[in-house]
Amino acid sequence: MARFIARRVVQLILVLLSVTFIAFGALNFLGDPLVNIVGPLAAIDYCDEVEAGLREDSYTSINNSRGDCEIIGEAKADFGLDKPVIQRYFTWLGNIITGDLGTSFQTQLPVSEIIAQKLPKSLMLMVMAQIIALAVAIPIGVYSAYRAGRAVDRATSVASFGLLSIPNFALGVIVLQFFALRNQWLPASFDDTSIGTRIHSLILPATVLGLGIAATYQRLLRTDLLTTLQEDFVHMARAKGMTDRHIMTRHALRPSLFSLITVFGVSTGALIGGSLVIEGIFSIPGIGSEIVTAVVRDDFPVVLGSVVVIATGFVVINFFVDLLYTWLDPRVRAS
Amino acid sequence: MTNSVAFTTVVDDIDDEALDDAFKKRLGFGFWVAISWLGLVSLAALLAPWLPIADPNEIANGAPRDGILGDNFMGTDALGRDVFARTIWGARISLGVGFLGILLGIVVGGAIGIAAGYFKGLTDQVISFVVFSLLSFPSLVLALLITASLNRSFLTVAMTLGIVGIAPISRLARATTIQFAEREFVQAARVIGAKSRRIIIKELLPNVLVPMGALTLLGMGISIVAEGGLAFLGLSVEGEAISWGKSIVDGSQTRDLNQNSHVAFVPIFAMFLTVMALNFAGDRIREYTDVRETAF
Repeated sequence: MARFIARRVVQLILVLLSVTFIAFGALNFLGDPLVNIVGPLAAIDYCDEVEAGLREDSYTSINNSRGDCEIIGEAKADFGLDKPVIQRYFTWLGNIITGDLGTSFQTQLPVSEIIAQKLPKSLMLMVMAQIIALAVAIPIGVYSAYRAGRAVDRATSVASFGLLSIPNFALGVIVLQFFALRNQWLPASFDDTSIGTRIHSLILPATVLGLGIAATYQRLLRTDLLTTLQEDFVHMARAKGMTDRHIMTRHALRPSLFSLITVFGVSTGALIGGSLVIEGIFSIPGIGSEIVTAVVRDDFPVVLGSVVVIATGFVVINFFVDLLYTWLDPRVRAS
Repeated sequence: MTNSVAFTTVVDDIDDEALDDAFKKRLGFGFWVAISWLGLVSLAALLAPWLPIADPNEIANGAPRDGILGDNFMGTDALGRDVFARTIWGARISLGVGFLGILLGIVVGGAIGIAAGYFKGLTDQVISFVVFSLLSFPSLVLALLITASLNRSFLTVAMTLGIVGIAPISRLARATTIQFAEREFVQAARVIGAKSRRIIIKELLPNVLVPMGALTLLGMGISIVAEGGLAFLGLSVEGEAISWGKSIVDGSQTRDLNQNSHVAFVPIFAMFLTVMALNFAGDRIREYTDVRETAF
């Protein structure tokens, strides 16, 4: 087991390196980071001539007495843009490891501070969504497997198929309209006054996110349970005269949870993507809303920092799900 | 038809009509309903410029915030633009980026997946590592990363959706290739001296394409939804271009959603029906091809 974990840790580190490189590379190769720092000034292409003294520097930048090329030169030096991408990547990576994610172009606040302030709200939303998903999916999954083929099972199959076909933002908009605007049963936006109001105002968005994953969970659990119910030990338990309820909850449920655990990691990815969108709909000032604002304002360090934090979190969660899975089912370790 | 009758017909001689019946039965009525809806939406999307509908971008085509079945068939939005026309024009971009995206995903993802599964060794390790890294991003985050710093034209959005699809598709292609590469007919081809290129194209590709067919429909549904997600992040196609995602965003501003909810609900309904039809048809095709796989 120790060797297995060691191998997985090495793999984890390699993947984190490649994920951060993809994120850094995407924003550096696809866009011009200079544009993100100095804005439209980056389009100036005669700075070489100014340096050589062939031409006067221009002064188009507002409330700045310095020349345009001077500003560009400083920005390039400050951010090391004159160095190769690989070298900049490692400098940047070193900074991240020490907790320095850079400074927002817009607010001049450290990115780590912005994320520390926004992330808890997003995390709370996601945790609530997972709890709701499990609370809905497990009882329904167990009951629909127990009564497979009957009316309730058919109805839940149709419902979960419908839920899988409705995008979470669409469900969010419908739920917001019906429960918060037309009927005002629950708040339409986030209320940060106390822990109680926070939970209260997250009920709607968390339900929207949770229901989407609940449909996947319910389908998997039902399929796995149907297989488990064919096993000899279930017949044995039945022959001994145990009640159906006891067999379903005490004997059959636990060995049927493997697929559900496997997709837990995957569903977290769907949940992260979903919460980026849902936060906007329900005005939750979480990391999703922060990314949207940062993208609109071309705030490069905030986008990069948030993406890196999210991707790292996702990789680490999958790492632990993997370990948990292996620990629960020794057969995986062998292969 | 009872079981015993079916057995005798199969034993006596293979009855083409019986096979046709079985085919229709398995795909089912729902499949054809789904396909009809998809055909209708695609046709409307293709023919939008020639259909007798209002100009989707004309401001004050009707009174602003007019309800459903008023002067305009499905009402108007806050600027008095015709919701029905906007939904049909939205289908052009939503279906367009969805289809182009999944096409790109299948061509590129399929190619690298088959390469990884067939050549094994270092090729496989490198490809699998890159794929694993790409899968380590939540898909919407990956899409955001690509579109954030680009000009968002129709092609960039389609390309982004395609790139997001490459990793999961190549995984499936790799798994299917590995499964078939060990089969007798592939080994036979290798024994008689067929070149890798011939084995891949003639022996492996047709078999890998079968599960890909179902995936095209399912993946197109995912791409259409992903475009909507990007629209909510402000990262869908720029400018006056209309997509279902952008229309839903337009209609979900608090005031509109409260008093004039159809502006959001009409495109939501169109997207929901289309995605459900794609999922349903995809599922049926997958089940159908699976059955054939075991029956013969």
